[in-house]
Amino acid sequence: MAALDLRLRVPSPDLLALPWREPLATWDMTAVAFRDVPVGPSRHLVRFVEADDRLWALKDLPARVARKEYEALRAMEDRGLAAVRAAGVVVQSVDDAAILVTHYLERSWQYRRLLMRVPATAATPRGRLFDAMAALLVDLHRNGIYWGDCSLANTLFMRDGQFIQAWLVDAETAEFHPSLTDGQRALDLEIMTENVTGGLMDVAARREEPPSATALILDEARSVAARYEQVWALLHDEPVIGLGEQEQIARRLRALEDHGFAIDEVRLEPADGTAAALAGDRVRLKVHVASRTFHADRVRELTGLHAGQGQARILSDDLRADHERRRREDPATTVEESARRWVLEVFGPGADRAHAAVGHHGDRTQAYCDLLEVRWLLSEEAGHDVGDEPALAALAARGTPNDSAANMAFVDLPTAELPAISVALIDTLTSSEGSAMSSRDRPEDPA
Amino acid sequence: MAEITLNNMVKKYGDGFPAVNDVSLDIADGEFMILVGPSGCGKSTLLRMIVGLEDITSGELLIGGERMNEKAPRDRNLAMVFQNYALYPHLTVFENIAFPLRLRKDVSDDEVTRKVQEAAETLELTEHLGRKPSNLSGGQRQRVAMGRAIVRDADAFLFDEPLSNLDAKLRGQMRTEILRMQRRMGITTVYVTHDQTEAMTLGDRVALLKKGELQQVGTPRELYDRPVNMFVAGFIGSPPMNFVPGEMTGTTLKLPFVEVEVPREMRDAIGDREYVMVGIRPETFEDNSVLEDGKSATGTTFDAKVDVIEWLGNETYAYIPYDAPDHLTARLAELERDLDSERMREQLVVALDPASRIAGNSQATFWFDPQRMHIFDVTSGDNLTLKVPVG
Repeated sequence: MAALDLRLRVPSPDLLALPWREPLATWDMTAVAFRDVPVGPSRHLVRFVEADDRLWALKDLPARVARKEYEALRAMEDRGLAAVRAAGVVVQSVDDAAILVTHYLERSWQYRRLLMRVPATAATPRGRLFDAMAALLVDLHRNGIYWGDCSLANTLFMRDGQFIQAWLVDAETAEFHPSLTDGQRALDLEIMTENVTGGLMDVAARREEPPSATALILDEARSVAARYEQVWALLHDEPVIGLGEQEQIARRLRALEDHGFAIDEVRLEPADGTAAALAGDRVRLKVHVASRTFHADRVRELTGLHAGQGQARILSDDLRADHERRRREDPATTVEESARRWVLEVFGPGADRAHAAVGHHGDRTQAYCDLLEVRWLLSEEAGHDVGDEPALAALAARGTPNDSAANMAFVDLPTAELPAISVALIDTLTSSEGSAMSSRDRPEDPA
Repeated sequence: MAEITLNNMVKKYGDGFPAVNDVSLDIADGEFMILVGPSGCGKSTLLRMIVGLEDITSGELLIGGERMNEKAPRDRNLAMVFQNYALYPHLTVFENIAFPLRLRKDVSDDEVTRKVQEAAETLELTEHLGRKPSNLSGGQRQRVAMGRAIVRDADAFLFDEPLSNLDAKLRGQMRTEILRMQRRMGITTVYVTHDQTEAMTLGDRVALLKKGELQQVGTPRELYDRPVNMFVAGFIGSPPMNFVPGEMTGTTLKLPFVEVEVPREMRDAIGDREYVMVGIRPETFEDNSVLEDGKSATGTTFDAKVDVIEWLGNETYAYIPYDAPDHLTARLAELERDLDSERMREQLVVALDPASRIAGNSQATFWFDPQRMHIFDVTSGDNLTLKVPVG
């Protein structure tokens, strides 16, 4: 019998001890610690296994495809892209079968978690989800990667500061090129739009949405490509502007930051050839952005905290404000000293209280980010700093301001806890969109 | 419906390496054309140039007589089939086929209904339109995915190794479904594969590529019977053709296991070459002891020691080791690399009649018809016997 070809990047004894020679479909439920994790429609069998206190996703694939996907995921990891981390690939001796092992993405959730809990009309939370998908595709394309099967089911989502971060979970069809042609990008977008349409219509059918929801869904699916094009243009357009048009430059930089990019370099070059260029008042604006892990890297360097890029942006601002306060007290304070003390005195206690306020659901760092956001919004409304207490209360009561990112906390709630959602939350979720949740997700339906 | 014409198509990347080199090909309206070859032969690149995923460095692409080089993928009206064929569990079969059409603003609801019903008829899915995918068989599900491509009204279907991600069972099932659909619709189809079995069973014609260059275009039968060179001969056929070194002395061709008296036309084709490569397909050999009366005398027989017998039920293969001179093994090693294969050890593969009782590790007598040998030039690999009538 041909030997088993096993490659694992993690020296986990429990993982090694799994019955790798057997087809994944036949693994014994009583001998292997399977966990039930909802997944979207998939071509291949996917099972989740707990080993050494961690959760792993195991996918049954033909050997050739498994090896290819393993290499693709590793290449994405090397480039710092948001893709699930490959932990290993095991080629079995029978039938050219193989199992791809990936790390289960902690705190991530499937699109259904959000889409089943809000109606097709809840534009804000859904918009955040689609922004995330568009951003992921932009990132891949900037790295010369054609996905070939971008869909809701092939993506996992995670709250990340005021954003949602999308993660690629299926790289079976991915291709790596030095750069992508417009044709490749266009086809990838077309595939994505079609896939998203299918995914959304499937959820709508499951929620028994009225047929009138279809038009909305189609617009929404098309909007993902539009969101993509907007970000792509922000990153790649090099408009010719007047030297004096500071406002246009500022607007562009702000737009990039709003999409989560850190600005690395702004260049103004003479616009070529024209008489106006000679006069020196027409310039070409070029903006280079830093890697998408810029803020996260910086926060980790200073504080040792592993935060998402979106979270890290918020933490960076908090760190900076904290450092300025300390500098006023003692001008000799270094950034490093401030950061150390911020972790112990500010972030630690704040994150504990915020996490407690949301019932220890979701991520502690995210809870702290939500606390900062809600405090800021409430203070803005009140016209003065209201402090932590009202913000913590709002978090605990799930009564955070309309359209705040903190409102998204409901995605981190386990399904069993959903009936406990307050009417206030439902109102905040739906009031701005002017519609109600479906009866399936809504404990008391006033309609 | 449309014909696709490739005129001297070239694809060069930044490093100047031609991934596709001067390929010309006429794909007729309604034809099922296969692009096949080992990895790196340029078949996928060629398909992507047709779709518009890769820019065309030089040459011309015509679809229905119209130049397409500069057109965006969506303006070429081609359908890539199965690039994404997820079925949605809560949507009916009807809606699973219809939803991509709904994205198009120029298609009315009535038209959607009509197109889906037509596609369902072609795919024999009409009575399943109201069902959910979970109530369908595997083959029916694949047909639903095909329905999505059909309703687009594309001028041609393009497939890029559509079955390579599937397991063996599903692969066979899908192959049949694709062939059936193509035959019923009569739509121009270009299909890329690295699998010669797929190529031989699906295509009206097969275009075989090597390192970006077209080697031969023809019906599967032509490629099998009349390969223009060793590369084509070695790629087409399973198990692959045996290549053995041959040495000409007068009218006799000396092979490692037998000396053959060469027929006149073949001798003329060989000319004054001293050494040649001889290709003999495994199925050309017979077990001499099970031949019908009188047939043995019509060909050449030889005795050989059989190393191993592989019995597969409908087929039996005998493996016969032999020694080849060093100066020819280098040529074989090169061909091996070109073909991306690992076989071609110095052994003859012989396909035996199921009635044969030859056992492993035993001596046996084999028969073959020398007219069915292919003789190749050692250096160029060209088939010298293309014009020699097959016996």
